[in-house]
Amino acid sequence: MSNCAEVVIIGGGIIGCATAYYLAKKGTSVIVLEGSDHIGNGGSSRNGGGVRQSGRDPRELPLVMYGINHYWPTLSEELEVDCEYHQDGNLRLGKTEKHLQILQGLTDRAVAVGLDVRMIDSDEVRAINPYLSEEVIGASWCPTDGHANPLTTTLGYYKMARRLGVHFITGEKVKELRKIKGKLRQVITENNVYEGETVVLAAGLDSRQIAATVGIDIPMQAAMLEALVTEAEPHMFDQMLGTAEADFYGHQTKHGSFVFGGSSGLEGFTKDNGTPVTNSLTAPCICRGIMKYFPILSDAKIVRTWAGWMDKVVDGVPVLGNVEEVPGLVLACGFTGHGFGIAPSAASQLAELIVDGTTHVDLTDLRYDRFKAKI
Amino acid sequence: MNQVNDRSRDIGAFVPAPDDDMIICRCEEITKGEIRKAVHDGMFTMTEIRRYLRTGMGLCQGQTCAKLVKGIVARELGISPAELEPATSRVPMRPIEMHIFANEAK
Amino acid sequence: MKRYDLIIVGAGPSGLSAAIEAARRGLNVVVFDENEKPGGQLFKQIHKFFGSKEHKAKIRGFVIGEQLLKEADEAGVEVVLNATVIGLYQDKEVVVRIGEAVHHYKGDAVIIATGASENMVTFDGWTLPGVIGAGAAQTMMNLHGVKPGNKVLMLGSGNVGLVVSFQLLQCGCEVVALVDAAPKVGGYGVHAAKVARTGVPFYLSHTIVKAEGEECVTGVTIAEVDSHFQFIPGTEKHFDVDTICLAVGLSPMSQLLKMAGCEMEDNPKRGGQVPICDEYGRTSLPGVFVAGDVSGIEEASSAMIEGRMAGIVAAEYLGYMEKEELDSNLVDLDKALDGLRQGMFAPKNRGKDIETTDEGIPVSKNLLKHGFVADDEIERFPGVTHAKGIHPVMECTQNIPCNPCQDACPKHCIRIGSNITALPAVEEGSECVGCGMCVASCSGQAIFLVDETYEEGYASITIPYEFLPLPEVGAKGNALGRDGKKVCDAEVISVKSIPAFDKTNLLTMKVPTEYAMKARFYKEA
Repeated sequence: MSNCAEVVIIGGGIIGCATAYYLAKKGTSVIVLEGSDHIGNGGSSRNGGGVRQSGRDPRELPLVMYGINHYWPTLSEELEVDCEYHQDGNLRLGKTEKHLQILQGLTDRAVAVGLDVRMIDSDEVRAINPYLSEEVIGASWCPTDGHANPLTTTLGYYKMARRLGVHFITGEKVKELRKIKGKLRQVITENNVYEGETVVLAAGLDSRQIAATVGIDIPMQAAMLEALVTEAEPHMFDQMLGTAEADFYGHQTKHGSFVFGGSSGLEGFTKDNGTPVTNSLTAPCICRGIMKYFPILSDAKIVRTWAGWMDKVVDGVPVLGNVEEVPGLVLACGFTGHGFGIAPSAASQLAELIVDGTTHVDLTDLRYDRFKAKI
Repeated sequence: MNQVNDRSRDIGAFVPAPDDDMIICRCEEITKGEIRKAVHDGMFTMTEIRRYLRTGMGLCQGQTCAKLVKGIVARELGISPAELEPATSRVPMRPIEMHIFANEAK
Repeated sequence: MKRYDLIIVGAGPSGLSAAIEAARRGLNVVVFDENEKPGGQLFKQIHKFFGSKEHKAKIRGFVIGEQLLKEADEAGVEVVLNATVIGLYQDKEVVVRIGEAVHHYKGDAVIIATGASENMVTFDGWTLPGVIGAGAAQTMMNLHGVKPGNKVLMLGSGNVGLVVSFQLLQCGCEVVALVDAAPKVGGYGVHAAKVARTGVPFYLSHTIVKAEGEECVTGVTIAEVDSHFQFIPGTEKHFDVDTICLAVGLSPMSQLLKMAGCEMEDNPKRGGQVPICDEYGRTSLPGVFVAGDVSGIEEASSAMIEGRMAGIVAAEYLGYMEKEELDSNLVDLDKALDGLRQGMFAPKNRGKDIETTDEGIPVSKNLLKHGFVADDEIERFPGVTHAKGIHPVMECTQNIPCNPCQDACPKHCIRIGSNITALPAVEEGSECVGCGMCVASCSGQAIFLVDETYEEGYASITIPYEFLPLPEVGAKGNALGRDGKKVCDAEVISVKSIPAFDKTNLLTMKVPTEYAMKARFYKEA
């Protein structure tokens, strides 16, 4: 098989797979290089499954709203896989007045960009989700938010892109990017050299190191996120949940299990063990967090925990689009732990950018050249 | 680890078999046919099969079916089962109630 | 966080052995086990073990378990039961669920001795209730006193399948057939022979087509397979059964090591996913060691030696022992382990077609195909001789590492020599007194006392007999041949059960002289 394509995508996560899919749909030839042995092995398979608008930075809100309007509702049919998409709202829960202040601030900012989100009192919270503990005194409520299955969605994009002729190669770790005559052209791995007119860098945390080989530095760092899953329980609720205190987030899946993410407070300073191995303190902490909100789940059995590295950008929103200094380079990284819900629209817009040169959603605020000193 | 794996290589077409409806993963009720089809959908590793179908994600965490699934996937790919790396093992080794996991002894 | 010198996960034969050795060298050792009883599989092993007398041969498994526990206790080992290790984290942190809480501990060294779990095999109906693992059957019978079923078909002719089949018979189950897709019996011939002589038919080159039944197993169909393991049409055989036992191998339970980041390999010779480790159990993670089946499926006897090795290697790692002392200790253990890994069933011989014994005697083809040595094959083995008066007949026809019979005879009638895998032979010129110690000492139940001149026209045959109720002296029944078929009438003339026989009863029956070399089992008419 040829090592040349119109577009070479580095990273076989949901961003890489979905971008490949939308490009292939437009008739573009694509090679996807994944450094690990598995498709979707980074944040794509290690997240809480939120398909959320609420709680997001206004700069990325238009993009995720575009996805929820245009892609998510029909994604299962399009990808011929059950993405388990539920648009049953997002509750962001508060237990103290201070929490409610935080939620009010988030709500105000989102309303200003046109999102349907509002504050609700404890009665309304319990009308939406009767299983919550009495400690919850209020919440922000975004009825158009939801959740989906990140595993089947990521692999669904992969399956369909592959079916459209996208050439995926796993275990192909990129060492270096190389410009030829002033334009990015070559992608060099341990074993091979690939060539493309455009190179999309969607390698999550590894993107920083790879971009550095053409003199580009993306200000992002690793932070470990952890999640756990329970055995299947009878169906209880369909909302996506989060908290003002950020002690846990998650939802009940179609399968019946609850997937909850959370933190111990030590993230950002986790020892880099080379692989994302869970910290012994985190899962118990997540459990304690969940039980404060859902005492009813205290007998649910945890069957699995996992960890993943987040590509945390200094200002918390992804880096998307062309890089003027390096013609041919398109960045798609730095999703900062909330890249799943935004992936379909981010990928489709990148495909438009690459093939048509224009996009439906303005990506200006997410470009690489936004990083400036504070004064 | 990190073997170059060309996902476009020809593994032939999916051919239905009489035992395709046999349950392989008992916890999640996944059949042999579903596993074989997933391979033809491009799921070439045990990890991808697990993420795509939920095999081995139930209460027993693959204690019973991991080897069986591996054999089926290997045969579909035309390779030896030993070439397929088993999916990752995760804490907890045995299912544990949330209130017990939450209760760390001092 | 509480810290130990050494944390051991698994209180089976290897874990306890490691704990004993380490604690004796002064380490502060804790052993966690998720079960309510320690000893791992040993407490299900009611049969006598093979090997040399230095390494617990002819002792029943559960007794070995009790001995290990006592030794561990004396050495100061802390054994915590109902303690489920849920994770092995960075920095050798072990998180254990005990009761209603999780506990965090760190070990300066950790030994993983988690053993193995049973493999399954799929066929139509394999998920029906009544299809169980052989190990599960053993747990039901020997730990909980529950009869797994009434009519059982066993799939798998390795030692587990053979041993459990015999235990099912002892438990009062009817074993309708012993089936294996392989063309040859996989386990020790002596284990097969003691099952076959009770009348259990062996179907080699056969496997299960389907388990029948709506709600649970009510029957099973097997069929012959060709050399590519494809069913041969028209060879189907049906049995009414309520239980199908699967003894199709074990897989190391190495998940803790994988999650801790140990380098692993998939090694079919070791039974599956195993840590990459050296011969003494040192893994790729400094201070993390392995012992027993988790590092490769073998027998409990070798697991105990591996445990001892890991225990002293950990002691040296933590400075409780000098390198020189370690090396000299390992020499003896190496020798012992090497001894167990000799003979026809040695790991190095797996999959090989062995035509003759080390002595140059053609092996019994019938034993491999049908589970018993044919009448026209048995006389070529050195343990089978004719003599005036009472004498031992040792139907031990394969080179396996086992020699208790040699020391059991107070008159030194039996010779194996220094090579533990040699076939036992009758020492010429020695005089058998018919004490029966050899019969009771043979873990394979392959030694008989025969007196071809017991009385005019009759011979007496003494057989090991481990079934209850014991027949009465004077009872008249059938003498069965090695194939389990009736050869003649027999009368019980003696039943001996003395403590020295360790629960192997010696039943002596009287048969017409011409059947002296044929009758090998007694069954009530």
